[in-house]
Amino acid sequence: MPCAHPRRQGALRLEKGEEISSLVLKAKDATDLSAPSARLVTRPLSFKAVGRRLMWRQTQGRAMGKQKAAFHCELCRRTFFSGRGHVYGLKHQETLRNILDNFLEKVRDARKVLKEARVERYDFTEHDQNFWCYCCKTEVKKHVTNGNIAVVYGGFLEHFESSEHKKKTSAFWWENKANIKLKDQFSLSPEDYEKFKAAVTKALESYEEKEDEYIKEGAERIREVEQQRRELVQAALEPQAEQSLDIGASEPGVSHQSHLSAYSSEEPGPSGLHFPFHSDDLKGQKLTFLGDKLLGFTTEKGNVHTGATPPWLIDDEEETGTAIGPSYEEFIQQKEKEKLRKLPPNRVGANFNHTSETDDSWLPSFGRVWNDGRRWQSRKQFRLEEGKKATRKRKRNDQNE
Amino acid sequence: MSYLLPKLQTKKAVDQVIKTVAEKVLVLRFGRDPDPVCLQLDEILSKTAHDLSKMAAIYLVDVDNVPVYTRYFDISYIPSTVFFFNGQHMKVDYGSPDHTKFVGSFKTKQDFIDLIEVIFRGAMRGKLIVHSPIDPRNIPKYDLLYHDI
Repeated sequence: MPCAHPRRQGALRLEKGEEISSLVLKAKDATDLSAPSARLVTRPLSFKAVGRRLMWRQTQGRAMGKQKAAFHCELCRRTFFSGRGHVYGLKHQETLRNILDNFLEKVRDARKVLKEARVERYDFTEHDQNFWCYCCKTEVKKHVTNGNIAVVYGGFLEHFESSEHKKKTSAFWWENKANIKLKDQFSLSPEDYEKFKAAVTKALESYEEKEDEYIKEGAERIREVEQQRRELVQAALEPQAEQSLDIGASEPGVSHQSHLSAYSSEEPGPSGLHFPFHSDDLKGQKLTFLGDKLLGFTTEKGNVHTGATPPWLIDDEEETGTAIGPSYEEFIQQKEKEKLRKLPPNRVGANFNHTSETDDSWLPSFGRVWNDGRRWQSRKQFRLEEGKKATRKRKRNDQNE
Repeated sequence: MSYLLPKLQTKKAVDQVIKTVAEKVLVLRFGRDPDPVCLQLDEILSKTAHDLSKMAAIYLVDVDNVPVYTRYFDISYIPSTVFFFNGQHMKVDYGSPDHTKFVGSFKTKQDFIDLIEVIFRGAMRGKLIVHSPIDPRNIPKYDLLYHDI
C-alpha cells in the first residue's frame, strides 16, 4: 500500500544493528529536510529539561497542597509570601549592600581608635550615644564611660569582640547571604582587643596626668586671685588699723581679725554682712555723700527698698514714634505729590528741583532781551561781564596803587 | 501799600523764593518803596494778591539791596516786574522791545490779573514766552537801553 504521509515516506526504518539514539538522529535529519509538517514531530526532551519540568511540577504541587510560610525580611522590612528565596533577590542584595556599607563606615571609624585609644572628659551630648548593631539587632552603647571620663568607641569595640556578636554575625551572614569576604571586618579578634585595652590604659594614664596639670594650673590661679584679694583688703584696712587707737596693734592683719571677731560677737545676722566698717569709718574716709533726697529715700517715687517701680519699667516721658503708618507731614507731602501728578507733564519747569542746595553765586534762569539762543547764555554772559568788571576794578586799583 | 506784601532783603532770600515757589507764577517787583510809581504798582499788587493767591506769589524786592539781580535782570527803570514759574523766567511779549520784564505800573488791577492768568496758562502749556493780553495802549513805553546803545 502506497503511503501518502511524508513520515511514512521518509526512510525511518530501523536497519539492523542500529540503536534508538541513531533513530533520533535520523528523525532530526528528516525534520530538517522534509516538508513543514515534519515539525509536528515531538522532539525528545533533554535531561535538563526533564529535570526542570519535574521541579516545576513539584513546586506547583506544594503550592497547591500546603501554603508556604510567609517570610518577613527585616532588612527590606517587607513580608514575602514567596518564601526565603527572597534573600537571593537583587533587591534584597542591594539593601544589604547599602546597610553593610553604612555599617562598615562606622566600623572603620571605630577601628581607627584601635591603635590610638582616646580618653576624653565625659560629655553627655557626645558620649551617651548608642549604635545599632545590625547583626545582633540590638542597640549597643558606643562609648564606655563612668560619668567623668569616656573611652571613645570603647563600647563599640567591646561589643564587636563578644562571642555573642560573633555568633549573631555568622547567623546574619548566613541568613542574608551576604558577601563572606566582608564578614571579618564586622568582628574583632581577641588579640586586637587586647591591644586596644593596653592602649586604653596608656591613654587613661596620660589623661590623668593632663588633668592633674590642669587642676594645678587652676589651683595656682585661685591662689593668685586670693593673694590679690588679700592685698587689696590689707591696703584698705591699713589706715583703719592706724586710726583705731583702742587696739593699737602694729600688725594690720591682727587688728582685722579682732575687728571681725568683735563684730561677729556683737551682731547676730546673716553672714557676709560683717564688714569691719561702720559709719565713723566712712566719715573718716571723707566720701562724698549724695544726700537722702537724691537717693530717693524721701521722694514719692521711692527706691528699691520701698518697692517702687524699677526705672526700666517706667515709660519714657517723651513719646517715641510708635505710631503705625505715615506721619501727618508725610501724608501731606504725598498728597502734594499726587496733586502734582495731575498737572501737565510738559509745563514750564516741571522737573525743576525746588529743594536743591545752591551757593551764593547761583542765578536763576533768565532770558535777556533777545529772543533766540539759550537761557543759560544770558547767565554766562552776565558772569563774563561781572568778571570783566571785577578785573577792570582790580586793574584800576593796581594803577592807583 | 508795600507793607502788605512780603519783602526780600537779600540775594539769598530772592534765590530761595525763586527756587521754592512751585507751580505758581512768582512776581518779583524790583523798585524802591517810596517811589511814586512803585507805590501805584504796589497798590495794584497788594489788592490783587489775595485773588491771585492760587496762581501767583508776589514779592517786593528793593533794587538797592540786591545789586546782583538788578544787574542780571538789566533793571534800568523802576518799578520793573519779573515773572518766574517753577524757577524758570517767563517772558511776555508786551509789544515793547523788552520781553523780559514789565516796566512801570499797570493801569488797572484787571490788567495785572489777566497778565498773571495768561502767564500761568502759558506756563502750564510749557510756553516760556507768552503774548500779553493787556491793551497796548495801557502799556507804558520806554526806550530800551542796553549796553549803552
